[in-house]
Amino acid sequence: MLAQLLVNGFVTGCSYSLVALGFGLIYNTTRVFHFAHGAVYVLSAYVFYTLWNILNWQFAPALVATLTGIAIIGILIDQFLYQPLANRKGSPLVQMLSSLGLYIATINVVAMIFGNETKVLVPGIQPTYSFGTIILTQIQVVTVLSFILLFGALAIILHKTNLGITIRAMRDDPDLLSVMGVNPRTVRCVVFSLGSVFAAVAAVLNALDVGMDPNTGLGAVLNGTVAVIIGGVGIFEGAALGGIFLGLIQSLAIWQVSARWQDAIAFLLLILFLIFRPEGVLGLRRRTEETST
Amino acid sequence: MNYVFHIMVMINIYALLALSLNLLVGYTGLLSLSHAAFYGIGAYVSTLLMMKLGFGFIPSLLAAIVASVLLSFVISIPSLRLKGDYFVLASLGFQVIVFSVLYNWVDVTRGPYGIPGIPQPEVLGVTVSSIFTYFVFIGVIALLCGGMLYLIGNSPFGRILKSIREDEIAAAALGKNITGLKVKAFAIAAGFAAVPGVLFAGYMQYIDPTSFTLMESVFILSIIIIGGTGNITGPLTGTVLMILLPEGLRFLGMPDAIAANMRQVIYGLLIIVIMRYLPQGISGEYRFE
Repeated sequence: MLAQLLVNGFVTGCSYSLVALGFGLIYNTTRVFHFAHGAVYVLSAYVFYTLWNILNWQFAPALVATLTGIAIIGILIDQFLYQPLANRKGSPLVQMLSSLGLYIATINVVAMIFGNETKVLVPGIQPTYSFGTIILTQIQVVTVLSFILLFGALAIILHKTNLGITIRAMRDDPDLLSVMGVNPRTVRCVVFSLGSVFAAVAAVLNALDVGMDPNTGLGAVLNGTVAVIIGGVGIFEGAALGGIFLGLIQSLAIWQVSARWQDAIAFLLLILFLIFRPEGVLGLRRRTEETST
Repeated sequence: MNYVFHIMVMINIYALLALSLNLLVGYTGLLSLSHAAFYGIGAYVSTLLMMKLGFGFIPSLLAAIVASVLLSFVISIPSLRLKGDYFVLASLGFQVIVFSVLYNWVDVTRGPYGIPGIPQPEVLGVTVSSIFTYFVFIGVIALLCGGMLYLIGNSPFGRILKSIREDEIAAAALGKNITGLKVKAFAIAAGFAAVPGVLFAGYMQYIDPTSFTLMESVFILSIIIIGGTGNITGPLTGTVLMILLPEGLRFLGMPDAIAANMRQVIYGLLIIVIMRYLPQGISGEYRFE
């Protein structure tokens, strides 16, 4: 029972981690608090639903088209929403509020088109695999595999390629990066497209697993944020650790308390981390008061 | 005619929420996403005191304010050291936790079932029953609280808050206890936010946790972002506009199911446009930059 719960928590954690890795990639390099990541998440699920369930495309082309489309949407959001504000060198709160505005507008447009009710992509019971006493559905296995694959790919990109060096340089000092002759806009495009694809993968997997409704985006982006804070702001891989940690804690909460308190526990964790260890599990000791606002 | 009075009552309730949040956002420069939590605490504390312990209206109103102020310390004292995004996140976390408690602590709050049959306010032996008398009653309280918030904003205290907003380091260099002042501003805003909660419960005679969600906090924030902050006219403009907007959509003949979403699409887009082109809102003083 406990083992099954922990495994389920790990799978949920993998899904959180995917969203969190995308959010962290964007937040760490551009300092944009990308609330609209939740809108991207919802949009991905509905685009995939439209292509696969309504237009009856094959699975693979529908998935590829969704991911490509979402990558482009990510770039457009940055180009038209954040960059004009970033160029004014204003407070990050302005970007955060605009992002919130975009989130609200987007999910309500989705709700107007598709309705507020939950949509199920795969009817019926999914095939399962059993490992000893632990049972996993097919989609859960795919979720874990996707997480491992994408996490590995991200780690390789960040640490073994020139692109990764550029991204990490932008995290450390965006101004210095432009002095070195790299256009920060290019890096932003990469980060926003990649980050959005991560969210899209998580969204499609989650929609295949439990279905979707327009309001799932808020929970997704908030859990992603909590994971990023727990893992450590400034450390790209930390988000994965934070996500899995959050998933495990929430399943332990189901075991010990009740599933109803999951949200409260996630956010209590967030507040405790913000107060006592704002640099996260992996972060270097740096007082939050000192970080630029 | 009752329809008009109903709208006026709602405008008064949201005006109080907007004006109290304005003290934080517009004067002190702190973005908080927990205002609906204090609004809800006001509603629930007064309702439970009236219905379970037989308190009168005025004592339960005062108790609700005190409870809200005390709870504000729980979140403000530890998290006001945090800056920018981190403070917003902490306030958001508090909002989610309060909602979760209202929703899940079924023994006390009846959770999702809500609390029906809340008594109408009784002041000086007179029960406020018709919509018209409620409108007058709430108008008097709103004028009183609004006036107090106006005076606070223009007092030396209000001016120090504005100095924090403009330049925290300069204010600290002049010997002001920044964290202490922020805690006070947060407590005052929370106390005033409890008042519309109490009035809302007495008016609707029914409350459930869905009136006090994170999205409600976002809505209250968007009222003052759109209307403007840092003075009295901004939040009032925002309130009137945002409360009349769905009514306007109804008059345009939009079905209610779509109108609810349409209203949110409009206010989402308004936030984006305001942030980009009109950072001081429609008639505010403080520019978000």
